[in-house]
Amino acid sequence: MSDMSDDNDYYSDEDMFDGTQDEDESGDEMELDNFGDDFKVPAKDKKKSYEVDYDSLSQQAVEKLMARDINHICSILGVEVDTASLLLRDQKWNKEKLIEKYMDNPTKVSVDAGATLPETGPPPPAPLRNSTSSSSQSSNRRTTRGSKMLGLGPKTKSPTSSPTISHHVPQSLKRASSKKAEDFFVCQICFNDAPNLQTLALDCDHAFCTECWGDYIVSKIKEESEHSIRCMAEGCALVAPDHFIRDTLLPAPGAPVGDVERESQNIAAWTRFQELIVRHFVGCNRNLKFCPYPSCTNTVSCPSAASKASLASTVPIVSCGARGIGPQDQEISKSQQLGFGLQGKEHRFCFGCPIESDHRPVICAVSKMWLKKCADDSETANWIKSNTKECPICQSTIEKNGGCNHMTCKKCKNEFCWVCMGPWSEHGTAWYSCNRFDEKAGVDARDAQSKSRASLERYLHYYNRWANHEQSAKLSVDLYAKTEKKMEDMQITSALTWIEVQFMKKAVEEVEKCRTTLKWTYSMAYYLAKGNEKELFEDNQRDLEKAVEDLSELLESPIEPDTIPTLRQSVTNKTVYVQKRNEIVLEDTANGFLEGRWKWNVAVDGFDDPEETVL
Amino acid sequence: MDARLRRVNKEIADCKNDKSSGIRIDLVDESPFHLKGSFPGPQDTPYEGGYFEVDIVIPESYPFQPVKMKFITKIYHPNVSSASGAICLDILKDAWSPVLTLKSTLISLQSLLCSPEPSDPQDAEVAKHYMTSKSSFEDTARYWTQIYAGGPGPKEKSDGKDEVAIAGLERAHVDRFEALGFQRGKVIDALRRLNYRGPNVPKIPDDRVVEELLK
Repeated sequence: MSDMSDDNDYYSDEDMFDGTQDEDESGDEMELDNFGDDFKVPAKDKKKSYEVDYDSLSQQAVEKLMARDINHICSILGVEVDTASLLLRDQKWNKEKLIEKYMDNPTKVSVDAGATLPETGPPPPAPLRNSTSSSSQSSNRRTTRGSKMLGLGPKTKSPTSSPTISHHVPQSLKRASSKKAEDFFVCQICFNDAPNLQTLALDCDHAFCTECWGDYIVSKIKEESEHSIRCMAEGCALVAPDHFIRDTLLPAPGAPVGDVERESQNIAAWTRFQELIVRHFVGCNRNLKFCPYPSCTNTVSCPSAASKASLASTVPIVSCGARGIGPQDQEISKSQQLGFGLQGKEHRFCFGCPIESDHRPVICAVSKMWLKKCADDSETANWIKSNTKECPICQSTIEKNGGCNHMTCKKCKNEFCWVCMGPWSEHGTAWYSCNRFDEKAGVDARDAQSKSRASLERYLHYYNRWANHEQSAKLSVDLYAKTEKKMEDMQITSALTWIEVQFMKKAVEEVEKCRTTLKWTYSMAYYLAKGNEKELFEDNQRDLEKAVEDLSELLESPIEPDTIPTLRQSVTNKTVYVQKRNEIVLEDTANGFLEGRWKWNVAVDGFDDPEETVL
Repeated sequence: MDARLRRVNKEIADCKNDKSSGIRIDLVDESPFHLKGSFPGPQDTPYEGGYFEVDIVIPESYPFQPVKMKFITKIYHPNVSSASGAICLDILKDAWSPVLTLKSTLISLQSLLCSPEPSDPQDAEVAKHYMTSKSSFEDTARYWTQIYAGGPGPKEKSDGKDEVAIAGLERAHVDRFEALGFQRGKVIDALRRLNYRGPNVPKIPDDRVVEELLK
């Protein structure tokens, strides 16, 4: 495939210094367009300010992208497909860098990538093949040792005669193989010496039996998730090209059926190998991200969120287009008898950070900060610090929740004074008064304690609300089940049809969605600097919260046959209202980011440092 | 997996037949996949004269995955943990090749003793010792070879002070336990056995030391 436009891209890119990430955004979009609509998620009618443009790609689509890059390299550098693949993999799929380096020193680049043998250095045991035509002769490499091979001069050389490994091979073995190499071949790995042993070798001619090659490749793929599989000989850096791996793992067409278990294992390894290469390709390309949902193989392309700077103003929540969590999902839904709910849930995740859910309207940096704060329990430590003291003898943490200052440690029975922490015995009969109490120090200590308490209370205010919405969102599974039951009842007790009771399901979905938004607004509010903007934000937040709670209550209320029509009316109205409020929060926050309206009370990447204000 | 068994059996047999290298591989129990390798310390090194034993575990996917080895014999070497015997060697990790055998790996271990790599250490403390004072490191390594690997030379040094320093112990620790009424030599011996490093890692309580001394 020759592509003029790409060539042009390359030449114009050359002027840029290194072009790592400038990797033509326009070019990428164009590339995606080339696949037609087969791999695309149907586009939404109108893009909202809190949404990003993205495309979902299946594994095959990504493979096509890879093939394009590979073909491009083939046509420019004039190398075989497999060589191009190895070169690109070694250069992290950076075409520009590869071309530049290759033009500079083709031998070094392909030797480093394991695509060709080094020309200098220790002489290989067999005559070298031409470097550019190196791969793709696998068919003639599958040889049968036996009478046929006697005529083949170089093949009779045992791999052990390679200088790179000879000193590691036990003397006795080496003698045996070099003496009798003329007569038969012994695989140096499994020591199999059957006369018709099939062997394989890469261009380095380090021959081993086919079975060992297969086991080796499977072990590398399965246990090390390795896509760059080197020759088995020690110190040999040649990497097995794709066709070699395919031919070794997949049975030749028309070949007799061998060990079924072994063959299915090999086929699984070959599938995994292809997946590993796709993952490597996706991992090296900042415009692409692999769907993090278990056993999902889709990829999302979102060039607008590929740069770090863009993450300061957008929250790139994307969806790979697939639903559910693979085969297990069906079992879950069956066992719980959920008609809807988790089953078929969209694979929604953030393109910009590792959070595997929707964290709109909060940008990645702030969400990350918040989650870290919640996770590392530093606030618990703060609480302990401001509320407890340690026993001077056994260091147990003690909270004084009333009573006098004469403390007796429950654990070690030590008696001490809560005020000065000194032993109680020294206080004599002066109960409730401590003659060692330094007034100044005491005032200071109380001040520090109340300050830390105020900051703690502030945190707890936001955290409790955050956690509350999270908990409610989790409970939505139950709510789904309950609602479904209600929907059934409704169909029985009233004249409503199945389609007419769907408003309940819609309402539950909306509530769950809004709770996710609400949850994250609390993390945002915690970090927002005081001011009008924050007040407006909190007004919007309050309106949404109120609307959501109203609707939630309505959904939980018992159903009376007489009131169903009114209930339906009000639920529908409220759902629409909630939806509106949610949109307002998301939209306003997103616009605020674009306009640079939000100020933080902590330092956030991509923003000015906070002014010196009180929280 | 009979290929693995066949290969291991052949490797053991080959090693038995070859007396010249001085390398031995023995069964630990019934299983051919848990072995004990041993080899003499290389000449012209502090390990000369010692005999080092290595624990060998053959993994399920051997020889396509590397064999697991660690020193049984305590050894003072930058690339071997002085506490656990874990080994830092590339061929036991990503540079492994299925062509390598138990014997060739043991030979590589032997040559690791000739040429330590302090820049890529397993035991940072030993590596630091090696970098700061090579002769003092060698004294300690030689001493450890004597007491742990059956190397030649007097088992007890006449100069008590040297003995403490060279075994990697601190005077204060030895003095403290000596003050409890134990013989100095015994204290040094016990602390050495426990790999006592003072109050830092790993923390060994006094009771444990006394228990060892009373044995």
